[in-house]
Amino acid sequence: MTLEALVAIIAGGLVSGSLYALMASGLSLVWGTVRMFNFAHGALVMVGAYSAWYVSNRGGIAKALQPIGKSLVANSEEAGALGALLLPLGEWILSIKGGFGLLLGVPFAIFCSGLVGYIMYLLLVKPFVGKPGADLVVIITTIAGASFMQNGVQVLFGPRYKQLDRILKGPPLQIMETAIGLQEVLIIILTPVTLLLLHLFLKHSKLGLAIRAVAQNDDFAHLVGINVSQIYPLTFIVSSILAGLCGVMLGGLFFILPTMGAQELLFAFVVVVFGGLGSLPGTIVGAYVIGFIRESSAYVFSLYWAPVVLFATLILVLIFRPRGLMGGEES
Amino acid sequence: MSLLERLQAHRNLLALLGIIVFLALPFIVTDKLLMHLAILGMLYAIVASNWDLTLGYAGVFNFAHLAFFGIGAYTSGILSVKLGISPWLGIPCGGLTAALASVIVSIPAIRLRGIYVALLTFACSQLVLLLLLSQPLITGGQQGLTGVPQLQIGDFRFRESQFAYFYLVGLLLLCSTVFLRRLVTSDFGLSLIALRDFEEYAVARGIPLARQRLLAFLLSAIFPGLAGGVYAHFLIVASPDIFGFSLTTLLLSMVLVGGVATIYGPVIVGVAMTYISELMASSAWMSDVFGISRGPVRFMFVAVLIVLTMRFFPQGVWGLAKQFSARSRRTGTAETELPS
Repeated sequence: MTLEALVAIIAGGLVSGSLYALMASGLSLVWGTVRMFNFAHGALVMVGAYSAWYVSNRGGIAKALQPIGKSLVANSEEAGALGALLLPLGEWILSIKGGFGLLLGVPFAIFCSGLVGYIMYLLLVKPFVGKPGADLVVIITTIAGASFMQNGVQVLFGPRYKQLDRILKGPPLQIMETAIGLQEVLIIILTPVTLLLLHLFLKHSKLGLAIRAVAQNDDFAHLVGINVSQIYPLTFIVSSILAGLCGVMLGGLFFILPTMGAQELLFAFVVVVFGGLGSLPGTIVGAYVIGFIRESSAYVFSLYWAPVVLFATLILVLIFRPRGLMGGEES
Repeated sequence: MSLLERLQAHRNLLALLGIIVFLALPFIVTDKLLMHLAILGMLYAIVASNWDLTLGYAGVFNFAHLAFFGIGAYTSGILSVKLGISPWLGIPCGGLTAALASVIVSIPAIRLRGIYVALLTFACSQLVLLLLLSQPLITGGQQGLTGVPQLQIGDFRFRESQFAYFYLVGLLLLCSTVFLRRLVTSDFGLSLIALRDFEEYAVARGIPLARQRLLAFLLSAIFPGLAGGVYAHFLIVASPDIFGFSLTTLLLSMVLVGGVATIYGPVIVGVAMTYISELMASSAWMSDVFGISRGPVRFMFVAVLIVLTMRFFPQGVWGLAKQFSARSRRTGTAETELPS
């Protein structure tokens, strides 16, 4: 193995590991707290990517607003006193032909994925919480939700590929004679920062502590005055935002299409099982391990065989350590 | 006496009537699309009702169920396209490989519980898909295996006749349904229900958990495997779409809307749902009314239907019918819901 290949594997492993960590930590958080498995988590990635695209790209909201801007400018003279207001508004709308950029796109993506996550919780999860067999029922309803969102996005935006602007533009970095794109570098740096923020939120904020208390023992959390029924949706929202962020990063790397996120969801499954469902540190370590396994098996075998190696790993882990490599015994 | 009981008293007569109507159907309905959908619907009904055995009766969420169907399709397809083996031998081989696959999946799955079974079977079905895609020379890769030969006996080609596929698939559905109903009312079926509803007690009474679950997987895979074989020859293609989210959701909706742990429910709703979803995809008014492409809308409809079913009538259509007939007798009996 040459040095360049090694650097490429490490960089690739860090990128895929970061993406898996963002996704899987959300899955793991929901499993640990609500005891539900969200099969629509991949669709939330897609929602994040599409909403960022819609605001930032010139094919999105900017294009939809152009006719309104034109008619405002055209009608401003007849509107009398209001015209003085309408004309600059119309001209401003016409001036944003290129979209609002990612500076607005990313917050919008966070908002949208959080909102969709909350709605999903209300419609697909909340009615079944506490009922017998709820975990299996929620698998079914979230699969239905994922299918609804995938097809709904196809109706709204069409099946054609879209692509997000890259956040950093410029020539790729040269590290040990291996070219690494700036977007990749950004993902490698930003993901640990995001995860650190998540860690601080869970460790030091009141809401975060409440989430952890519910995850550890919801009856006792209830007894000390935590409103468990509010913590569940909060957990869903936090996990959805993580998925949405993952979507923004994926959207800058690859194409955006309605079925995106599905394959990443599969890898996130592997990660959470590998690291232990509900264990956040295990999940994050697992994500990077799986990322490196994927990249190195893609190098050693081929791109086609990398997923096969991963799923074989998953099945082996499930057979021999069903609680994951770092997961504790379930009570 | 309730309507259902009255019907049950004459079940032999009704069955005879049903068979006569069924045999006469191709003479009455001459529309090509309707007949095509009937055949497709019956194939899906076979898969859905067999899924009911593991999902409804055994209470095990087996995500790999459609993989058995796909394995049947690919086995028979590959045998006939690449090796030139007669489809009449290939289809039983499809059933056999599906059964074999079910045993391989179930060996790790029977040791796990709840969510882990779902994850493992999901992983297994994706693994099968990835393996198929990784061998494009044999399986046709992303495009699917094309050029699967039509069924024929001697010089008689099934495609050229209105009846041939219809009768063949109808016979398969009949065999599958009789087999499943016999199975779930037998001691074996009762032991599955016992394990589902009160595992500790059932095991304490000496029911071998692992063996019964393995058998449930195995017995639920045979007919989908056979149906998969017929499916490939009927559509002359074995495509990786079988493993996709959309078809899984569609078939899941057949089981759930029909009613879990009923067998008849998924059979009836399986055929009905195929009609509804395919006609939604092909009828013009959908695009006229909404001004949008029709394909995705039907899957959105199916998704909404699933959630509404789980929320408001988890016993499904067949369960509701039974409930109403029971209420008319004023002796309400609890219906089976999706078990934990």
